[in-house]
Amino acid sequence: MNTEMVKLSELTRKRIQNLHDTKIRINSDKIKHLGNLDIDDHGFIHFPDFKFDPKVEDESGILYGMVPIGKTFRRLLNEMPRYIHPDSALATCWVGPFPAKLGYGPKDQPTHLQGVIDEYHILQSGNQGMNHLCPDMRIGLELGWGGILKKIRHYREELKPADTSFFDGEEEFVLGIQEWVADYVRYAREMAEKETDEIRRANLLEIADMNEWLVENPPRTLREACQFLAHFQCVDRTYVAGGAMGPLDEYLRPYYERDTEKGILTDEQAVWYIASLFFNDTHYAQIGGLIPDGSRDVTSRMSFIILDAMHVLHIPANVALSVNDKMNEELFERALQYTLEDGSGVCYSLSNGNMRYTQNGYTIEQARMRVKSGCNWTAIPGYEYPLQDVTRCNMAVALTHALDDLKGDEELDLEKLFKRFFDHLKIMLDCIKEGYDWHYEHISDNMPEIVLNLFMHGPIERGLNVAQGGVDIRSCCIDGIALATVADSFGALEERVINEKRLSWKEVAQALEADFDPDRYEKTRLMLKNIRRLGDPDSPSLKWAKRIRDAFVGYARIPTPKHHLKIIPGMFSHGDVVMYGKVTPATPNGRRAGTPISHSNEPDDGFAIGLNTFSPTLKANTVAELQPGLGNSSPLHLDIDMALIEHNGGINALKALIRVHNEMGGTLINLNCLNKDTLLAAHENPDAYPDLVVRVTGYSAFFASLSKEYRQQVVDRFLQ
Amino acid sequence: MGKTGFIFNIQRGSVYDGPGFRTVVFFKGCHLRCRWCHNPESWNMKPELELNAEKCIGCGDCFRNCPQKAHGMDETGAHIIDRSLCTGCGICAQGCCTRAITMVGEAVTAEYVERAILADKAYGTLSGGGVTFSGGECMLQIDFLSELLHFSKLNGLHTAVDTCGDLPWSAFERILGDTDLFLYDIKAADQEVHRALTGVSNERLLQNLKKLHELGKKVIIRVPYIPGGNDGEVDGIGRILSQYPDYPVELLGYHRMGEGKYRSLSLSGVEFTPPDEDELRRVLNKLVSYGLNATCTSVKEGK
Repeated sequence: MNTEMVKLSELTRKRIQNLHDTKIRINSDKIKHLGNLDIDDHGFIHFPDFKFDPKVEDESGILYGMVPIGKTFRRLLNEMPRYIHPDSALATCWVGPFPAKLGYGPKDQPTHLQGVIDEYHILQSGNQGMNHLCPDMRIGLELGWGGILKKIRHYREELKPADTSFFDGEEEFVLGIQEWVADYVRYAREMAEKETDEIRRANLLEIADMNEWLVENPPRTLREACQFLAHFQCVDRTYVAGGAMGPLDEYLRPYYERDTEKGILTDEQAVWYIASLFFNDTHYAQIGGLIPDGSRDVTSRMSFIILDAMHVLHIPANVALSVNDKMNEELFERALQYTLEDGSGVCYSLSNGNMRYTQNGYTIEQARMRVKSGCNWTAIPGYEYPLQDVTRCNMAVALTHALDDLKGDEELDLEKLFKRFFDHLKIMLDCIKEGYDWHYEHISDNMPEIVLNLFMHGPIERGLNVAQGGVDIRSCCIDGIALATVADSFGALEERVINEKRLSWKEVAQALEADFDPDRYEKTRLMLKNIRRLGDPDSPSLKWAKRIRDAFVGYARIPTPKHHLKIIPGMFSHGDVVMYGKVTPATPNGRRAGTPISHSNEPDDGFAIGLNTFSPTLKANTVAELQPGLGNSSPLHLDIDMALIEHNGGINALKALIRVHNEMGGTLINLNCLNKDTLLAAHENPDAYPDLVVRVTGYSAFFASLSKEYRQQVVDRFLQ
Repeated sequence: MGKTGFIFNIQRGSVYDGPGFRTVVFFKGCHLRCRWCHNPESWNMKPELELNAEKCIGCGDCFRNCPQKAHGMDETGAHIIDRSLCTGCGICAQGCCTRAITMVGEAVTAEYVERAILADKAYGTLSGGGVTFSGGECMLQIDFLSELLHFSKLNGLHTAVDTCGDLPWSAFERILGDTDLFLYDIKAADQEVHRALTGVSNERLLQNLKKLHELGKKVIIRVPYIPGGNDGEVDGIGRILSQYPDYPVELLGYHRMGEGKYRSLSLSGVEFTPPDEDELRRVLNKLVSYGLNATCTSVKEGK
């Protein structure tokens, strides 16, 4: 296999540089018009003059049901602005989230759950969780839009369901796509007519021809396959911010091999096509990975080309490298080399921890088939409905309710506190599970997966939405968050109140009630905060963290009460620690109300004191030890100082760090290599650093796009 | 029952002290007083107080808790410690809610250190790293050191000892079998200059280096470069080291990262001017001209 870096001509380099520069400008415009974006740096282009009337008939203003959504989507595709960057190999863009209020219709609102949701601030309950499943894009690449339409019509005829709205809505949607693709033929030719530069004009005409073919037919070449994927990205993102793409190198490898064999493709062109695809959107993709029997890794020349494209374009991209015992060492080293050069790059999806998926009754072969396809999550492309990353069970809220219950007690009884904490946690988990039952019953009638159904094995064949019988592998994830906040709270109470008796329970309860009023309780707060916290090898919090993790996982994985849906607990907070912190009262780890809670299952920043100074390994060991252990990823965030890495054997050291975390049962590593001065200067004045790309948690983003609170998360991690 | 020793830091995942990822155990206590030392907290073997005045909220707990009444305020209201009264009992640090007062160094058992070493063993194994014992001068606690080295070797770890070299040869003999690599400082060529800069002559350390070489032990030489300190010694050092052309030489430029530590320990340090990259490049080239395999990470093409 050729593993060399692709040599680029001046023309290709310039084209990709122009794409990069345009993306910076588009991003600046978006910040100017829309403010900071704390989510993925989605590739949409903001057209301030574009207005769309969804013409919702229901007086609730909610657009729901397969046919109304399909028809509205078709109209949107016909009306929304077109865009082709003259230096891109591909046409298309998306213009922002679906411009209609989607959700449960008035008769299907889960009002019975609202009381618990409000009381426990369950901001993401999983109910109405959308798009968190991975398509198998090979379905679309093999059929093309015309083939997909035929398939819909075929199964409508074959099954003859009493209610054909599932098929009718999908049909409307696909017709809309075909009309939209066809209009790009006109648009590209019109652009070509006006274009004075010969090379660009030729490019636009090629784009027109390519789209003309793709209206009805499946892609034949690598470039056509990329164009098909780009159109998919646009409709997927538009609908409900879908972002999963799957094993990109494996999707594209057959086209690459065929085209190069025919002599119609160079590696340089392939880099340009992929860069154009990445310019379009930041869909989550994986490179490398084991085949189902585990006998080899799939890395190919295409994997290297994807890495090169990502490196040369240098804008946010969400590509994961599968770390497994048969992985390609050169690909591993190239990925790290680019991370060192660019400051961020791929994330590292670790096979050992992910293989724990087998603990849920699935086979090791199924576990190997899972692909990194979201911020933290993995799924079997086309076959699995996993609903990860759509719930947050903020365990710190369960703790604050428990503390409230005990505030009148004379003495602190930690066992009683833990029991109360667990009781409240169970109330939260029961509510989320009931919500999942409701979701199962009602989502298909209201907000079906109109896009992803087309790329799954089952929904069209069965006439069933993917969330309701469309595929065989179905589970629901519940993510527990704020582990360190709760564990350090128990640790602080144990150390300061029970063991040292330097604080009384009454004083702590009053301090919490007063939100650690700085005039009266600052000393109390600092005493609670300055224990040996989670992450320190001598911390009392570790045993609490394990106990909390076990209690959470043990109860959460009990199936839902009504439909007995499988639950796979995980621990992932996304970047939402600020949002959840805002609704969480003061906690006994010295945290004031409204300030951020801890990330996923990670120790808080600044935990290392005394003999044990901070080290990436100390943090990594804690995160590995506290994995929920059922195959869903709880990431380790590492923000490494360039100065450290430049010193000695940087790549080997990072390789060892990643491999050991894999061996210890870790699941995912998000890595930044940053320069302290640059980071601090960019935090102070983000507009001056529009090029700086960072990995926030599972996703990467322009640093300048992030709000101050999100930028602060990255800075705090780095400075610890 | 394992031995007990005084350490002040366990740095995991270090890439600065030998090859690969290493767990570095910093021993407390050193008999040299290098004028540029950036680890003054390593000088005394016993634990001592460190005061970070910026963290102090003036709660007064330490004033009340100190049996020796060693805590006070100066005329500006700043928190000070009368070191002549302090016995290092640590009561004030234990009670300090902000961790403005901390104890530097602890007496720990060999088992405590061994647990830390084993916890990170895999990182070292996969990266070609291991464990480094540094300081201070780790060979001053030779019983403790030899036990930890022996344990590390038994567990298959690569071992390194970072030493000034100014110790009886008998101490080296205790650890030769369990030490894979010595990190060895050469600070000056002239005996009197060395004494003036560090408090001791370099006679013994040069003899020991010769013996290590004769025994075929692996050594990485480290040459600190301090403008205004040992800048007149470069040629002399080059000549001495030219006897050992097989030993890699790492040139280390003076930096000021230790300044805050002097303040927190109520010590006054000597300030030098850090060399810029051009100056380090000149020194590096001079060392290379003596046939040495010298590198400097602060010099771009010197890596």
